[in-house]
Order: sequence, then C-alpha cells, then structure tokens
Amino acid sequence: MSKLDNIPVRHQPTEAAGRKRTNPLAHVFDELVKFCQSRSMFMLHYCTGCGAIELPPAMTSRFDMERLGIQPMVTPRQADILLITGYVSIKTLKRIILTYEQMQSPKYVIGICSCTVNGGMYWQSYATAKVLKDYLPVDVYIAGCMPRPEAVISGMRELMSDIKSGRAQNWKRYYENYDHYLGNQQKLFGEDWQTPTDIIAEARHYGLMTDRTLGEHTALLEKHQRPLEALEMRLSAREKQKT
Amino acid sequence: MRPENYQARSQPPSNEFELNFGPNHPGIEGNYAFRVKLNGDQVLEARADAGYLHRGFEKLMEGRLWIQNIALVPRICVPDPVPMEVCYSLAIEEIGGLEVPERAKWIRVMQLEMSRLAAHLFAFGGHAATTGMYTTMFWGVADRDLILDRFEELTGGRVYSIYNIPGGVRRDVPEGFLDRLSSLLDYLESRLPDYDNLFFTNQVFVKRARGVGAMTQEQALKWGVTGPNLRATGLEFDVRRDDPYLVYDQLDFEIPTESGGDALARNLVRRAELKQSIRILRQVIERLPSIEGPIRCPIPNPLAWNVPAGEAYTRVESSKGELAYYVVSTGGDKPYRVHVRGPSSMHAVQVLEKLALGARLEDIAQIMFSLDACPPEVDR
Repeated sequence: MSKLDNIPVRHQPTEAAGRKRTNPLAHVFDELVKFCQSRSMFMLHYCTGCGAIELPPAMTSRFDMERLGIQPMVTPRQADILLITGYVSIKTLKRIILTYEQMQSPKYVIGICSCTVNGGMYWQSYATAKVLKDYLPVDVYIAGCMPRPEAVISGMRELMSDIKSGRAQNWKRYYENYDHYLGNQQKLFGEDWQTPTDIIAEARHYGLMTDRTLGEHTALLEKHQRPLEALEMRLSAREKQKT
Repeated sequence: MRPENYQARSQPPSNEFELNFGPNHPGIEGNYAFRVKLNGDQVLEARADAGYLHRGFEKLMEGRLWIQNIALVPRICVPDPVPMEVCYSLAIEEIGGLEVPERAKWIRVMQLEMSRLAAHLFAFGGHAATTGMYTTMFWGVADRDLILDRFEELTGGRVYSIYNIPGGVRRDVPEGFLDRLSSLLDYLESRLPDYDNLFFTNQVFVKRARGVGAMTQEQALKWGVTGPNLRATGLEFDVRRDDPYLVYDQLDFEIPTESGGDALARNLVRRAELKQSIRILRQVIERLPSIEGPIRCPIPNPLAWNVPAGEAYTRVESSKGELAYYVVSTGGDKPYRVHVRGPSSMHAVQVLEKLALGARLEDIAQIMFSLDACPPEVDR
C-alpha cells in the first residue's frame, strides 16, 4: 500500500471522463482544472440580439466582469461561453449553431433575455426561433427584458459554481442527443440542413455515443451530405468562368 | 474536427479573395454582416448582408392593440429607444386628435435629449474601440451608465423605458430629479475636455479617421443620409429646428456642422451635439418647474380604444438621423399599417456599401461606427 492510497477522497471520480482513474491525486487535479476553468471564462464576442446592449456596461469599469475572469474573445475556437443575447431570428440561429459547433469542449451556452426562454415579446413573430433549448443545450437562462448587468453577472456566477461543482455538463448532451437537436434544426431549416462540423465523429471521439446520437434525422444528414458547402466562399461568376 | 469526407479545394491563383466580415466579428456593430471582396487589403466589392435581426415589427404591430405596441416600438432601435416611443405616440396623437399637455411635452424633450446624450457617448465609444483606443470606450460606457441611472429613476427602466404613451407620459418627474440631472450635466460637461484630449484631438484618432469614408453633400442627399452624418457634410438640417415638434421651437440651440464629410467630421459633429444637448437639457431644467398641469390628457380605455380612421406621418430627429412613422388607422383597435422610416437602413446598407469601396479592410469598422448605424433598426 503506497502513501497515496491513504489520502481520503471525498468524491469518487466520476465516470464521465470515460475511463476510471486509479490515482486519487488525479481527482485533486480534476478539481483544480474545474476551478481554473470556472475562473477563466472567455465569452464569444457575438451580439445576437438586443440584450447585448447591457453587456458593455457589464464588461467595462462599472460592473467589471473581468474581475471574475470573464473576457470577450473574438474567435469561437478559443471561447468557452456562447452568449445568446436576446431573440434569435432564423438566419441568426444558423450562425449560432455553426458557431457553437466550432467551439472547443467544454463549452457553455447562456440564454440571456426572455426571448431565448419562450420567444418573449416576439412570440407571434414569423421570423424568430422561440425556444432556444430546442436547438442547443442551454446551461443557464437569465430572464428579463432585458436583464440588468447585475443579473447578467449573477447568471455568470451561477455558471461558475456549476462548473466548479461539475454540474455544467450540458455540452455533452448535444453529442448524446444529437438526433433530437438535429431534428429540431431540420424542422426549421429544411431537410438538407448541415454544418461543416462532423458532430457524430466528435461524439465517437469523446466516447459520448448513445443510442440517441444516431437516428432518423442523422440518416437524413448522410443522404444530403455536401462537403463543406456551407462555409464555401461564393466566387463571382467571372472567376467561375475562368476555372 | 475535420469531417471524414474533407477534401481541400483547389483555388485559381489570384490576389483577390472574398471575406465574410461579420456577423460574428468585433469590428461590426451589432449583429450585421458585410461580404467584401479584397485585393490585398483594399476593398473591391462590398455587399451588406442584413436580416440577422429581422423580427417583422411592422407585421407584429398590426396584430397588437395600439397601446401594446408602445412596448414593442423601443425594441426597434436598441441604443436609442426613446425617439421610437415618442414618434409613435406623436402619430397616434395626430390621428386621434389628442392634445398633449405642455408639461408632458417638456418631459418628453428632456427624455429625448438624455437619450441622445447616451447614444452619442455609446457611438463614439464604439468608434474609439475600432481604432484600438479602448479607454474612450470604457469612459463612454461608464458615463452613459450615469444617464441610464437617471432614466431608471424617471421611468423605472434602464434601457427600454416604455414611458411615453399616446397623450403624454406615464409618471411625473420624481422629487429632486432635476437637481440630480443638473449635477449629472455638470459632470458630463466637465468631462468633455477630457474626451477632447483623449480622443477628439488625439492625433492617433485624427490621422486615422481623416478622409476615411468621405462623402460629398450631393452624394449624401442623393443617398438619403440624415442626421449627424448629413450635418458632417456641411448641410445645416435638423428636424428639431426645421420641422419643430413638441417644444423645440421654444428652445435655444445651435445646429453644429462640419465640412469634411468623413469619419472624423461625423464624430466631431456628435461631439458638438453633446454640448448642444446639455444646453437644451439645462433650459428644460430651468423651465420645467414653472410649467404646471397634468402630464397626460385623458384617453379612452386603452384596451378597447378604437383610434379614429386616418393616417399620420410624424418625424423626429433621433441620434442616428431622421426617424419617421407612417401610421394608418381604419378605426379599429389595432393599427392597420405602420411603416417605420429608420435612418440606419440607409446608412448601413447603401451608404456603407458605397463608402467601403476603395477603403482598406481595417477602415470598414471605422466607417460603420462613424455612420452610427443601428442594425436592429435596419432589419426591424
């Protein structure tokens, strides 16, 4: 029996990581990582709706979110949080899903404003998607039209404590229930909807495949597979003639 | 992760390339996109890509009661919501033949000018950030917040006040509000020299912004440019003075103009307008206590209010430019048709597309922020 085995472990390591940890120090390391993750959140600089107007006050000197380690980040690849600030029109929702799938795990989604919860003011609008969690797994909702900067910061703190305690695992749901989310997206955008990211391969890579990952909707995806068309830059007609 | 069926595309060799500028880009104002074709960093073709914020306001308003729409209209332009409410209320008052009490008119002018101050501080703060001068943005947002505090005290809401209703305003001015507003104006006025040193006369900004996105007066008139952007080309036109509404004809203020027509001139006009707005607010603070009377005229039960048949076109000067509402009533409890003539739909689409031609990639953000376009209002 080595010395390390005598260290009392309060929580058993979860199986969420996919493999069992034998070293109890690994658990300590996990806690440390979670703490660091909760204290250095980069949020994507994407103003999707009117709630974004309360973010500059929240980020700058008066309310100062940076003291909590929250900073705007310009690329989705380096961002941890995707803020959905307000109503999402259908055109925006496509970009949101595209952005969300580009982000590196673990990633978190915060729905700010009532419009992300149930459509809010625009419940009868023909142009907006009403319930955000049908399309993406949402970690924290901040209701209000629009929520004050204090409310935004309180929502952020909620997310921080969720990350620290390991409860904020919603990003895994996207892989585990990909068929459900894709089905809702297809309902809105049409059957031939696809993104350039290969979510199924990622789910396989992370070991998050369940029986709900694949289904009738993902089968449809394979039928319409057009490699990288969504991100393709549109060349002008002149250049197309040249080639 | 790279898809399994990934294959690299073969491109013909060329100096030209296309770039999607936005919607997820820090150099763009709000949720808006711009598709540019570049040679090196010079813009050859530019195409605005709007519609990310479309909610179908004009349709939504046809389905709601006259009074319910008051809550809807400020959402059209997020940074400057008050003129939306006022302009819509003015239109209903014109159709319904309501006489707005004098005191309500003065309170509305006070709100409009407070909103203009807040919007301008936000606008040039944003412009400063695109040139890398983040201090100005931090200051601008912090000072704007002080105005929002006064809004909160007056109306209960920080951003969307929903305070103007057809016939007047909802509540009277709280006790001691005017004193606090007055000391806020003193503070803002004392900050202006600091802003000058930091931003408006700073060579880093002046050299960067001079000549960027320049337009002549003829072009501006042809393209439908209004507001500070038009005044930056030298034309002294302001709805507040040339087609006075509320009590602007009793107020003493100047219309600042500049002759350059470029990003620098547009910002200098906004800087001068800050001073004029403070001046107007001081006059309101002086006059408001002496104006007695009700704050709204009696209106019928708002939930069963059939506004008489008719149509009205009202316009106000918002911080972005000329804002107008065309409202048609057929005598029902809901509007038959509402059309919003927003200033930003001209500025952000046709003007921005033309000004961006020949500009450099890093100046697109400057041009957009100096035009102070408001994407939610472009899309509506």
